[in-house]
Amino acid sequence: MQGFFKTLFGDKRTLAVAGLSILVTLGVLHSPAASMAGLALPLCLVAGAAYLAKH
Amino acid sequence: MVLATLTAGASFLLTRIHDLVILQFIIGVFLTLFGVRWLGKAVARGAGLKKLHDETAEFAALQARADIHDVRAAWLIAFNGMLLEGLEVWLIVVTLGVQTGHLTSAAGAALAALAVVAGAGFSLRRPLSKVPENSIKFTVSAALLSFGTYWILEALGYHWPLGDAALLALFGLYVMGGLGLIRLYNPRQAAMKVI
Repeated sequence: MQGFFKTLFGDKRTLAVAGLSILVTLGVLHSPAASMAGLALPLCLVAGAAYLAKH
Repeated sequence: MVLATLTAGASFLLTRIHDLVILQFIIGVFLTLFGVRWLGKAVARGAGLKKLHDETAEFAALQARADIHDVRAAWLIAFNGMLLEGLEVWLIVVTLGVQTGHLTSAAGAALAALAVVAGAGFSLRRPLSKVPENSIKFTVSAALLSFGTYWILEALGYHWPLGDAALLALFGLYVMGGLGLIRLYNPRQAAMKVI
């Protein structure tokens, strides 16, 4: 069952990367720099991929 | 059986979500989860931080385990592969089909796509087998992340300046980002050669 959930959602690190990236994007989206949200999410996710690659 | 149960459960839940924005967000998050995991692994393998995936060796290692018989090893590998690929089709068919009220058409389209992919896979198996597995995973992860990012932000109310063309820009950004990370983690290797 644990393997199934890991296949569906990924491990804790993957969930943390996706969750934090969306939270940061939400912050940017509700700030005066809202137009930069389209850049913020990809950059956060690339940074997240960098972290996942190392761990 | 697992996929059939998932499909039935998801259909029940998704028919109760009538807002397309919520569905876009949910699917975007799933695509992002798949994509960022694959991109991380592809970068790690491209930079030499992790061994390249070798399915033959993996199968041999599984067979070598005394507690697992040949049949069970084959079943485990087939189950994992079918579950992952089936989940992707399930996500697309159920969400789009249920929301548009054309579940039969969506399922028919999925079956037609299966036939096309099987035919293409059979006829192109030799040239495709020469493409490194990590290159395919790297490209697919960039595509998954592009769609995931696009749908998440659109669901959150963001207006993409380029419209649908932003998908191409996102794809380019993820490819460049991934290649940059490979160079960063292993400056001695040319990224283009290792993915």
